[in-house]
Amino acid sequence: MSGDVFVVGISWRTAPVAVREKLAFREEEIPDALRELVGADHVAEAMLISTCNRVEVYGVARGTAAEAAADVRRYLARGRNAADAESALYHHVADGAIRHVFKVAAALDSLVLGEAQILGQLKAAHSVAVDSGASGPLLGRCLERAFGVAKRVRHETTIARGAANVSSVAVELATRVFGDLAGKSVLVVGAGKMSTLAARHLRQAGVADLVVTNRSFDKAEKLADEIDGVARPWEQLEALLAAADVVISSTGARQPILTVPLFKKVTKARRWKPLMIVDIAVPRDAEPKIADLDGVYLFDIDDLERVVAANLAERAKAADAATKIVDHEVGQFEQWLRSQRVVPTIRAMRDHFTAVADGEVQKVIDQLRRKELPADQRDEAIRRLGQLIVAKLLHQPQMALKATEPTAIDARVEAACALFGLDPSIYEIKPAAPVLDAAADEPPPAVAEGKRGVK
Amino acid sequence: MSSPLHDVGAVLGAATERMLSVAPSPAFWIAAVLYAGAAIAFALAATGRFRVGGLARVLFAGAFLAHAVDIGWRGVQHVHPAETVRESLGFLAWIMAGGYLVSALRWRIDLAGAVVSPLVMVVLAGARLSPAGDDPEGLNTLGRIHITLATIGVGIFALASALAAIYLLEERSLKRKRFDTLAFKSGGAPLERLDILLHRLVWVGFPIFTAAVILGVIWVSERDGRFNRPEYPLALVTWSAYAVLLVTRSAFGWRGRRAARLTLVGFGAALLVLLIYLARRIWGG
Repeated sequence: MSGDVFVVGISWRTAPVAVREKLAFREEEIPDALRELVGADHVAEAMLISTCNRVEVYGVARGTAAEAAADVRRYLARGRNAADAESALYHHVADGAIRHVFKVAAALDSLVLGEAQILGQLKAAHSVAVDSGASGPLLGRCLERAFGVAKRVRHETTIARGAANVSSVAVELATRVFGDLAGKSVLVVGAGKMSTLAARHLRQAGVADLVVTNRSFDKAEKLADEIDGVARPWEQLEALLAAADVVISSTGARQPILTVPLFKKVTKARRWKPLMIVDIAVPRDAEPKIADLDGVYLFDIDDLERVVAANLAERAKAADAATKIVDHEVGQFEQWLRSQRVVPTIRAMRDHFTAVADGEVQKVIDQLRRKELPADQRDEAIRRLGQLIVAKLLHQPQMALKATEPTAIDARVEAACALFGLDPSIYEIKPAAPVLDAAADEPPPAVAEGKRGVK
Repeated sequence: MSSPLHDVGAVLGAATERMLSVAPSPAFWIAAVLYAGAAIAFALAATGRFRVGGLARVLFAGAFLAHAVDIGWRGVQHVHPAETVRESLGFLAWIMAGGYLVSALRWRIDLAGAVVSPLVMVVLAGARLSPAGDDPEGLNTLGRIHITLATIGVGIFALASALAAIYLLEERSLKRKRFDTLAFKSGGAPLERLDILLHRLVWVGFPIFTAAVILGVIWVSERDGRFNRPEYPLALVTWSAYAVLLVTRSAFGWRGRRAARLTLVGFGAALLVLLIYLARRIWGG
C-alpha cells in the first residue's frame, strides 16, 4: 500500500566484506544517490546508511512497498555495478521494515550487540536525507521513533552494559581501581599495535599523561608521536614504573621484563599506591607472581578476553528483553501509521459533507430572504432542507453500493453498516432487490430518496 | 518452681518489657521501617538486577531524619543521648547513618549502603533490647562527654570498617580476576576512592576517640581508681590500631589491604567493648 515503509540492504549477516564493499557509498556520494532513489517510480521517501557493517536504504513507498523495494534493489545492484551482490540483498516491507529499522537503531542487528556507534551513524544518515530533501514526514517519524526505541532499550535492558572489546575492558578495569582516570598517568612498555589501541582508549577516558618506553628509542618516539605522548629511554624503566598508574606492556621479549624483584622495589618506591598492569604481550612480559604484591593489579590478555566474552554473553541475554520492547514499539508505530491513513479520509468526508450542507442551507436562506413566507410554509421549507441534505449525502454511497460486484456485496454492506452504525440483521432476509433496482434507474429525485433515507 | 522453660519465658518477657519501656516516639518506628526498606532496596540494588539505588538512598535519608526527630524528642524529655547504653547505641546508629549519607553525597557507594543499613538496624535493635536503665554507676558530666565522644568516634570507625570490608571484598575479586562477583559488578566504589575515604574517616574519628579515651581514663580513675575491667585494654587496642594506621600511612605510605585490615581490627575491639557493656547491663556484674 502507498505509504508503507520498506527496507532494502545488505549487512554483515548476509554478505562478507568483499561483497559489502562493492555496494558501500562514500559520504559525498550519498546526496546524489538519494536524489536518484526518490526519482524512482515507487519511492516517495528514502534515506541511505552506509557503514562498514551495512549498506541499507530505508524508504516510504509510492505504490506498493514490494514495487518500491524492487526499484531500490535494481538501483543498488545495477547502479553500483554489483550484480553478484544482488543475491545478498534482503528487503523488508511494512511492519517487517519498521521492526528492522528499530532493531538496527537499538543495535540488535549489530555485529557487537548493543554497541553505541550505530545510533550516531543512523542519526547522521537521516540528517543527510533530510538535508537533501529525500526524507519526508513518514520516514522522519519512523526514524524519530527508532531513536526513541534505541534509548529505551539502552535504559531498560542491560544490552549496552559491560565493555565489548579488550581495550575498553582495560579502561573499565582501570576505572574499577582508580575511579576517575583524569590526572592518572599511563606507561606504555613496548610499541605494539595493541598497546597503541589501549593507550588511545585510556586517553579518551581522560588519562593525563602517556609515556612510552621501548628498547629501541626510535620506535618509542614514533609511537609517542602517534598517541600524543612522550618517549622515555628504556634505562629509566624502574623510575617510570614508580611514577605510573597504569602500565600497558606489549614487548616482543622472550623473558619477563616486569619481574618480582623489580616490582618489590617499585611498589615500595611508590608507597604501595595502586598500580594496574595490562600485559597484552605473548609471551607475557610480567611474572604472574607480581600480582601477589600489595597494590599491584595484573591482567593478561586472557583475562581481558574472558571479560569480553562474559559481557557479550550478558548482552545476548538482554537481547530477548530488548526484542520485546522493539515488538511493542512496532505495534504502537503501526497503530499510529494506520491512524494517519484514516485522518485524511475523515477530513475529506467532513469537508465534503459541510460543503453540501452549506450549499443547501444557503439556497433556503436566499429563498426566505426573497419572499416573506407564512409560518407553515417556512416550516415546510426547513423540513425539506433537511431531507434534501440527507438525499444529497446518501446519493454517492447508494450508487456505490448498487454498483458493487456481486462477490463483494457482503463486505460492502457490512462496511456500510459498520460506518453508519446500522443493525446488519435487518438486511439479511428482506427481499428488497426489486425496489432497489427500480430506484437505480431513476435519476436522483432528491426529495423522494431523502424520504426513504429518513425512514 | 523454676523450670528452664519458665526461665526462657521470663527472659523473653523481660526483653519485651525492655523494648517497650520508655516508649520511643512514633518517629522511631518510622525510622526503623525506613531503615528496613532502605536495607532491602540497597540489597536489591547490589544484585545489579534492579535499579533502586536512588530509592534506597532516599529511604535511608528519610530514616535518618526520622531517627533525628526521635533523638530530639527524647532530648526534650530529658533523655540525654549518652545517658545509658541504650541511648548511646541508638545515637551510634544515627552517627553511622549520618556518616554514610555524607559520604554518599560525594561517592557512589551503594554497596556500602547494603552493609551500613543492616548494621544500623542491628545496632538499633541492640539498643532497644538493652535496659533503659537508670543513671549507671555515678554518671557525671565527664562520663556523659566521654560516652558521647566515644560513640561518635566508634560510629565513624564503624563506617570506615564498612568501607574496609567492601574494599577487601572488591580487591580480592579484582586480584583473583573474579569479575562476576557482586562486589565487582555493582554499586562498589573504585578501590582507590574507598581507600582515600576510609583514611579520611579514620583521620576524623581518631582525635574524637582519643579525647574520649583520655576523658574515660580520668573518669574511671576518679570513680574507681583502678583499671581492672577487660574493656579497658580492648579500648586501647582500638586506639592503637588506628594510631598505627595513621602513623604508618604518613610515614611509609601503607594503604590498601593493610590499612583495611587494621581498620577492621580496631573496630572489632571497639565492638567487643560495646558487647561487654551490653552484657554487663543485661546480666549485671
